[in-house]
Amino acid sequence: MKKKIFQSILNVTVVILFVSLMLITGVLHNYFQKIQNQQLKEELTLAALGVEQRGISYLSGLGKQNNRITWIASDGDILFDNQADITKMENHSDREEFIEAIETGVGSSLRHSYTLTKNTFYEAKLLSDGSVLRISMYQKSVLALLWGLIQPFGIILILAIVVAYFIAERIAKQIMEPLDEIDLEHPLREESYEELAPFLKRIHYQKKQIRWQLEELNQKKLEFEQVISHMKEGLVLLDAKDQIISINPAAMELFQTTLECIGNDFLSVERKQKLTQTIEKAREEGWGQVRIEKNNREYQFDVTSIHTEKGIIGSVILAFDITEQRNAEKMRREFSANVSHELKTPLQSIIGSAELLQNNLVKNEDVPRFIGHIHTEASRLVVLIEDVIRLSELDEEQKMEKDEISLYQITAEVLESLKDKATIRKIRLNLEGNEGRMTGVYRLLYEVVYNLCENAIKYNVDGGNVSVTIKETEKEAGIIVEDTGIGIPVEHQNRVFERFYRVDKSHSKKSGGTGLGLSIVKHAVSYHNGTIELTSEEGNGTKVEILFPKS
Amino acid sequence: MRSRFDEQLMLLNKEMIEMGALCEDAIELVAKALETNNAEIYKKVRPISLEIDQKEKDIEARCMKLLLQQQPVARDLRQISAALKMITDMERIGDQAEDIAEIIGYLNGENRNGSVPLQEMAKATIKMVTESIDAYVNKDVALAEAILKEDDIIDEYFMESKRRLIKMVAENPENGEYALDLLMVAKYFERIGDHATNIAEWVIFSVTGVHEEA
Repeated sequence: MKKKIFQSILNVTVVILFVSLMLITGVLHNYFQKIQNQQLKEELTLAALGVEQRGISYLSGLGKQNNRITWIASDGDILFDNQADITKMENHSDREEFIEAIETGVGSSLRHSYTLTKNTFYEAKLLSDGSVLRISMYQKSVLALLWGLIQPFGIILILAIVVAYFIAERIAKQIMEPLDEIDLEHPLREESYEELAPFLKRIHYQKKQIRWQLEELNQKKLEFEQVISHMKEGLVLLDAKDQIISINPAAMELFQTTLECIGNDFLSVERKQKLTQTIEKAREEGWGQVRIEKNNREYQFDVTSIHTEKGIIGSVILAFDITEQRNAEKMRREFSANVSHELKTPLQSIIGSAELLQNNLVKNEDVPRFIGHIHTEASRLVVLIEDVIRLSELDEEQKMEKDEISLYQITAEVLESLKDKATIRKIRLNLEGNEGRMTGVYRLLYEVVYNLCENAIKYNVDGGNVSVTIKETEKEAGIIVEDTGIGIPVEHQNRVFERFYRVDKSHSKKSGGTGLGLSIVKHAVSYHNGTIELTSEEGNGTKVEILFPKS
Repeated sequence: MRSRFDEQLMLLNKEMIEMGALCEDAIELVAKALETNNAEIYKKVRPISLEIDQKEKDIEARCMKLLLQQQPVARDLRQISAALKMITDMERIGDQAEDIAEIIGYLNGENRNGSVPLQEMAKATIKMVTESIDAYVNKDVALAEAILKEDDIIDEYFMESKRRLIKMVAENPENGEYALDLLMVAKYFERIGDHATNIAEWVIFSVTGVHEEA
């Protein structure tokens, strides 16, 4: 600003100075010339008078300081010159002023010498004797005059620069003061230059726009953070240099790090080669997947690189906990293997017996035994298939009709149907407690109680006890089945609810059963949102306590 | 200028972590092979060891370039000089893992080492190496100091292995060669523990400027 003002002032000054110099020089030059001419003529007249009266003696008395005076004879020869040696001067008969004077009585001429940058004026006058008296004077030319003016002019210019500098500073300050004082936070409140109003308005508008956009951006960021912070999956965003841009709480827990890792290299939170290589692969192929065991759980990492027109700008790492899924897969595999095995065993037995019968290899008196055997095994198959169907029903989580039922009543029915089995082995059955009213699926709850009581009898010692207690509180209904049987060893207690899991690995047919009973119990209980607690000591019996919420 | 230097330091840091991860992989492979008596493990460990060697050369060159071109001082200088020392230790860890893998090959899948606590030793060593690299990554002096103490555990395991092997040879002299192989394995683990300790010491040095003499 200051520079600009300074420049302008200086420019104007220089132009004015230059123009005035030109004008002044032109005018002055003309004026001086006129005066000089006048003087010259007067001097000539005087000199002519002197020469007419006193002749050459007048001229020789003039000396050298005066203007140059030349006396020329009528034929052009030089008679006298006060400044030059007449012997060396040539004939002047061809000079302009001489010819003019001879002809008209007076003559004048101007000769210009470029080398000396000066003009010489000549004035000539015809004397009465026919000779001519000439007077001449040098006059500096315009250029010479200009040259002479340069020094003062330079001084004026320097002065102009100094003055322009100070003035510029002051003006700039004065102009800038109101501008400096503008409060850009509130541009519209300002009473500044009128010319600035459109700018201030614009600034005000843009400020509003920026604030609005910033808010929107923050809002979006917040939404994004909210979304990713509530994700169960771990999410990490990396930039093109593999530095962490964003990480959600799930991923922080997975990599055991804090928010401080943002901006650091991803390697600093996880340096497993497999994952590093997958990120590398995703960069090349766009996508990569790897399964890694971490903190005793299995994780699947999906890495995707983010492509834009400018190339790869980063990658997204998504981590899923697939431990449950892997376990479920394993269980399903084991289940199918078990089912096939369990189905095959009785069928083999049936086929064997049938073959023997077909080939008449069985004695007549043994035939009923073999047929009975086939019947038993076939019934076993039916029971097993029924169990499997029931389990898959529970797996499908079909909606079943819920009724108001009484656990006490169900247990009474169950014990009634199991009475024969118990009596054979002299096992005493005992039922006590209150009603145990709750909402539930009758068929499933019957299954639960039946399986528990059947197990309590099956795995009891001869002459043992089975006592069932029904509990009912305000919020819960429950059943406790206690026996004095063989118990479950500690290492098996966690697994007895698995499908086809048997404490006795020989899959003995002695106790019967399919290995699915407790599994059905577990599913049925969880269908009713209940809990199972199993306490058992090997050789001292088992206690199973099941609690259902009432609704 | 400074930002370029910082970028180079970050690259150095990244390469150090990668080298550390390679060391971890190598020892983990060896420990697993020891458990399953996988005599083929040498073929898997060898490339990792070679990669570790290459990394050592790369990092060394990078450090030299940094020292020459940037003439770092104070903490930066400490970080670079510590890195130079640490890569030597890491390279040794890689070599020793390779050596163990070679010995496992000689054992021909025999498994008579139940009496020697090699598994525990391997686990303790892996933990130390992992922690020493963690300490480097997070500039965690407290963790590094904890590692210095853990070395005693490994030393104790080594002494225990030695005692049991002496007993084993005394009872069955024909087991002599086998026992010596196992002793070598134990010794290599013990050495790896020492290298991890060294790394921890250099981590402490690079942060605090004080190098503890073990």
